[in-house]
Amino acid sequence: MLKKTGIILFAAFVAAFSSPAFAGSIEFSVNDGKSNPVADAVVYAVPRDGAPLSAPRKAVIDQVDKEFVGYVTPIEKGTAVSFPNHDKLRHHVYSFSEAKRFEIPLYTGTPANPVVFDKPGVVALGCNIHDWMSAYVFVSDTPHFSKASDAGRGRIENIPAGEYDVSVWHPKLKASSKPASVRVKVTDDGASKADLQVALQNVWRAWRAPVASGNGYR
Amino acid sequence: MTSPFRFKSFRARILVFFLGLLVLVQAAVFISVNTASIKNARIQIDEALKITAGVFGRIMKEREARLLEAARLLSGDFAFKEAFGTRDHSTILSALDNHRMRIRADVMTLVSMDGEVIADTLNPEKISGEFGLKNLISSAEESEFGEAASVVFIEDRPYQMAVVPLLVPMPDAWICIGFLIDDRFVQELKALTQTQVSLLSNPQAGASVIASTLPLSEREALKAAFSADGPAQTEMELGGDKFVSFAVPISHGKDKVTALLQRSLDEALSPYKRLKSALILLFALGLALSVAGGVFMARTVTRPVRDLAAGVKRIYEGDYSEPVTVEQEDEIGRLASSFNHMLKGLIERDRVRSLLGKVVSSAIAEELLKKEIELGGEEREVTVLFSDLRGFTSLCERHTPQEILSFLNDYFTRISAVIEANGGVVDKYIGDAVMALFGAPLKNEDDAARAVRTAIGMREALKGLNAEFEAKGLPRLSLGVGVNTATVVAGNMGSITRLNYTVIGDGVNLASRLEGLSKKYGVDIIVSASTLALAPGFVYRELDIVRVKGKSEPVGIYEPVGETGAVDEAVVKEMESYHEGLKLYRERRWDLARERFRALREKSPLSLYAIYEERASGLIENPPPSEWDSTTVFHEK
Ligand SMILES: [Cu+2]
Repeated sequence: MLKKTGIILFAAFVAAFSSPAFAGSIEFSVNDGKSNPVADAVVYAVPRDGAPLSAPRKAVIDQVDKEFVGYVTPIEKGTAVSFPNHDKLRHHVYSFSEAKRFEIPLYTGTPANPVVFDKPGVVALGCNIHDWMSAYVFVSDTPHFSKASDAGRGRIENIPAGEYDVSVWHPKLKASSKPASVRVKVTDDGASKADLQVALQNVWRAWRAPVASGNGYR
Repeated sequence: MTSPFRFKSFRARILVFFLGLLVLVQAAVFISVNTASIKNARIQIDEALKITAGVFGRIMKEREARLLEAARLLSGDFAFKEAFGTRDHSTILSALDNHRMRIRADVMTLVSMDGEVIADTLNPEKISGEFGLKNLISSAEESEFGEAASVVFIEDRPYQMAVVPLLVPMPDAWICIGFLIDDRFVQELKALTQTQVSLLSNPQAGASVIASTLPLSEREALKAAFSADGPAQTEMELGGDKFVSFAVPISHGKDKVTALLQRSLDEALSPYKRLKSALILLFALGLALSVAGGVFMARTVTRPVRDLAAGVKRIYEGDYSEPVTVEQEDEIGRLASSFNHMLKGLIERDRVRSLLGKVVSSAIAEELLKKEIELGGEEREVTVLFSDLRGFTSLCERHTPQEILSFLNDYFTRISAVIEANGGVVDKYIGDAVMALFGAPLKNEDDAARAVRTAIGMREALKGLNAEFEAKGLPRLSLGVGVNTATVVAGNMGSITRLNYTVIGDGVNLASRLEGLSKKYGVDIIVSASTLALAPGFVYRELDIVRVKGKSEPVGIYEPVGETGAVDEAVVKEMESYHEGLKLYRERRWDLARERFRALREKSPLSLYAIYEERASGLIENPPPSEWDSTTVFHEK
């Protein structure tokens, strides 16, 4: 939990560092249409006039206790992500996703070269050693994105005023349903609101046996 | 006996009863065993079928688990994920085939998340297109873990199919894997459970047999007999064999598949059939033994009964010679011994009866036996005959008692025969005397005449006897007979324990007196006037009118000479002359009377003439008083 918070703070720091002096924000909430908040939903705003990309950034996805830290990690296109292994055993991180196909064969510690996600899209991460280890990297085309909290809420900061199409993605987003998208007008001095609704479906993952440190799952 | 079954012999009845009982009991045993057997066989089949259904379910589940496990393994297989990642059809296909072979599955198909075929081992050429088993995918999608298994049809062939998502690590495709369900599968099941297994599909639209352990010839019948909507348990006839069937649904929905587990009732009953034949054998054996035993038993009962019946018949026919021999100590034995006791009694009684006939006369014996024996008598007119042997005393002096007894018996036999021949009854023998009755106990119209005829007959019999005696050098015997008819008392006299049938009264005494007088008159037979009056058919010589002791009335006494018409003319003439002399005598013309008697005496040796000649002489010399009535008084007995 501490690490998670750390990443969020880090992301917020990165966002704050690179934002212009005057900018608005979008406060959003995501629910599944049944008044259930949708945590880990990535909400991103695409300027209607096509804003330029910000500078390349860095991100970290740790592996702790045979799990990826952060089920969903939204990043901007071109971000280099490093995968530090905090366990005393080796992991073998891979992805066969279209957006980024890569493999870091059995390693300990932090691999020398971070992985640069240069194509927008969803990248599903797995570990060849631990079937249950599963995480997602959402590679965004736009710098304006944020991840919903456990309460299904969040805020996209430092958005230049303008009109945006605000969309949402989630690993369990129903493939057939049209991705939720709302148009939001952002002013320099205020926080606009975006309430998004998504239809979710089951996404199955490999089973993890219960361990001393925590409960298993299926 | 109103029974419809009538058996002449007791033996047959016993036999029929016991055999009937045996058959009844055996039939009851047989029926109950048979019923219990069939019931038992059904129960066993039911249980076996339920167990088989359980086994069948378990096997299906196990196969399903194997399929799921295999698919899951593939889902986690990094090499396969890499292969999948290449999106190279040939690689993916051969990876699928390779994995399929690992668990001897019959089909593997990889389907994209949006239902497009990626690779299919059944159709190696197919590189795209819609996957046919939408339902299977849907149920996987709807399930908690994205997995499903079901019996499905691919190109009309049934497969047990499982589907799991390919996780890379998020679900990116569907791995489908399946076993073909065919005859080999059901044969394996049959080998395991000894049960006929048939799989039927689409029962609504007319069942079709997917796979079956039944011979081909019976599958059509199975199709016809099967009803998907019927109860789980049914009975149907296939190939002449009765099958108990148990239906287990193994797949629902459109491709409804039912497993029909069947066991032959006849087969289950075969051990009972052996029991049945054993029972039949036992029944036959029991029947034979029972018949033999029954016949033997019946014989032991009926043979002595038959012997007894024969004994009774012999007795009825008067043959007392043979007692019944039954060597048993049971009821029949006791009956036989009672019977023999009775036989002894009968022999005894018969002996008494014949002895009675000898001791008393047979007529009296009859009378005694016929009536209740009681003391007392009745008044009736009886002609009493007394006879006595004269010269017997002198005979006694010269002979041994044995010889005398022999003579007497000879004599009695003869005269008794004469008495009985004339219907008389020997009342008693008193020494050498005989007392005979005519008119008691049986009455005849001519009892008096019978008595007179008897007396004459006795005289004739004695003549014959004397001839024999003479031949033996024995002295002649002569006879004295007295006959009197009177009303006397006849009946049983004596004590209640010892009694005689006899007659008593003055008339009896008179007969005895008359017998005693006979010697005095030199005649064999004296008949009283009362007898004469009742027996007119004879020629009589009047002897006298006498007054005997104990009797005040004078009694006319006569000598029967013979039956009327059977007497010589000369004798009749002489008798007339004598009767005239007697008349003269009674008219006190004693001179004339004496002349007449003398004349008669000189011609005939009758002592009677001499007696009267002498009497007349005496009366002439000493004429009696005027009140003389010509009667002779006898004071002595
Ligand atoms: Cu790992």
